[in-house]
Amino acid sequence: MTITATLINLYHVCKREMWLHANGVRMEQTSETVADGKLLHETAYPQRSEKYSEIEIGGSKIDFYDAKNKVIHEIKKSDSFESAHEWQVKYYIWLLEQNGVEGVKGIIEYPKLRETKQVKLSAEDKTYLQQIVQQIEALVSADVCPPRIEKKFCKTCSYFDFCWIEE
Amino acid sequence: MYVILVYDIEEKRVAKMLKLCRRYLNWIQNSVFEGEITDVKLKELIHEARKIMDKEADSLIVFKSRQAKWLEKMVIGKEKNELDNIL
Amino acid sequence: MRKSYYLFNPGRLSRKDNTLKFTPLDEDGNEGTPKYIPIESVDNLYTFGSLDANSAMYNFLGKEQVSVHFFDYYEHYTGSFMPKDYLLAGKMLIAQSEAYSNKKKRKQIAQKLVDGAAFNMLKNLRYYNNRDKDTLTQIERIEALMLRIPFAEDIETLMGIEGNIRMSYYAAFNVIINDFEMGNRSKQPPGNEVNAMVSFVNSMCYTLSLDMIYHTQLNPTISFLHQPGERRYSLALDIAEIFKPLLADRLIFSLLNRKQVQQTDFDNRLNSCLLKDSGRKTVVKAWDEKLNETIKHRSLGRSVSYKHLVKLECYKLSKHILGIEEYKPFRAWW
Repeated sequence: MTITATLINLYHVCKREMWLHANGVRMEQTSETVADGKLLHETAYPQRSEKYSEIEIGGSKIDFYDAKNKVIHEIKKSDSFESAHEWQVKYYIWLLEQNGVEGVKGIIEYPKLRETKQVKLSAEDKTYLQQIVQQIEALVSADVCPPRIEKKFCKTCSYFDFCWIEE
Repeated sequence: MYVILVYDIEEKRVAKMLKLCRRYLNWIQNSVFEGEITDVKLKELIHEARKIMDKEADSLIVFKSRQAKWLEKMVIGKEKNELDNIL
Repeated sequence: MRKSYYLFNPGRLSRKDNTLKFTPLDEDGNEGTPKYIPIESVDNLYTFGSLDANSAMYNFLGKEQVSVHFFDYYEHYTGSFMPKDYLLAGKMLIAQSEAYSNKKKRKQIAQKLVDGAAFNMLKNLRYYNNRDKDTLTQIERIEALMLRIPFAEDIETLMGIEGNIRMSYYAAFNVIINDFEMGNRSKQPPGNEVNAMVSFVNSMCYTLSLDMIYHTQLNPTISFLHQPGERRYSLALDIAEIFKPLLADRLIFSLLNRKQVQQTDFDNRLNSCLLKDSGRKTVVKAWDEKLNETIKHRSLGRSVSYKHLVKLECYKLSKHILGIEEYKPFRAWW
């Protein structure tokens, strides 16, 4: 099984969403949340795609990689899932490292908040990632879908209707 | 949401704007469109419109309303395009 | 919110500047003023008149995930153009096949479908019974039949119960509908006005269900109550069963009783009765309005359209199939 950076991210947000996503149960593209995220990527930095390249590594896609300065740029709408975003970027760095590209740094950008955050990968981070990769593999391949979490942010999740519809 | 979009664009760029707006909204008369649209789609439309426009010369105005029913429409003279999903 | 577009006028639909252009044609083939349909506002298309279109247009619709449903001159549903599946999930397909081939699991879902449909039929009958339409006989009959649902040994027995429930239900149509008689349910072709209405609106409900299934991972050909293969997309028949009372039948009652559809809207011929174009347009307009009506949903805590209720049903079924949550069929609660 391929563990993508999206799964690393979702592991820190909602295990059920991670399970559904990994097993192909995705919500339709008409979902506003999904569309908004996509639009942000396309519009936040219009000139960027010319300067940086999109690369695919270990089944994960990095939208903007600055190969010259070895910097991964990750754009996010809001910082409400900051640690999930950080682990996603750390995972990219780790993947690059495993492929022989060392000394990569990450920057998470929140264009709406006009903020950025630097990300580096430490030795402990690597141990942690190793652990959760195993956990994710176990969770995702299990037949049982993890339970619904009851969080405020469920309301803005594209899976909200799926999870909360009862009768 | 329900919007009315009007533009005043220099002639050489106006055809592009017309084509763009036709993808999202219903043409009702020259330089005027209306229709139901989601927040994200409106953002997308505005983003595309900006690429066409010359900020110094052209103008685009969007009137937003929560729902069509909050908008009273009066047509005087010929209705150039009736809005209907039954054709 | 995307819309359905219903094309009655004969004409040509083409791709123009990345959107849709509809050019109406009159009987002599003369072009009328073209109309642009904003592609971003289109959910799906229903074509009733004759439509000229080329592959460039269908490729475009495919890319935009817009399906097209076709109806022939006799208002039969003849088929659909469905863009290639975009929400596939191997796990779901396997689980759905499993739920079908395991007799116990299949029966369990089928029982819930029959129970939900019957509940919604009763809801209609009770509504009219409280409004001076005596449907008590049918109510009692259906209630008695419903008691047998949990004990049905197999799908055939269940289908038998379902058939009897529906027969009692249709018997009440004669009481509910003021000026028209339904008699026995007759299809292909419908024998009278009420049957013509039922056939047409049911096919709209079927295509609605099909559309909603398409936007989920469920496979429309694997069904539980209906035999797969009964129609190409038999799961749409299963789902439609639940919603016909609320969406289709209520609409028929009100259109006929409020005389929005009248005798002159039908074309009576030897052994058959069909809606004329005028009648069909009235029905389609009312159908479309109905689907966009909203109610505050109990478990979601927000307003949803009737149309969305059908999608939600697909989610519930998906969850049941994946072993996440037991399926509870939709029961009109208001």
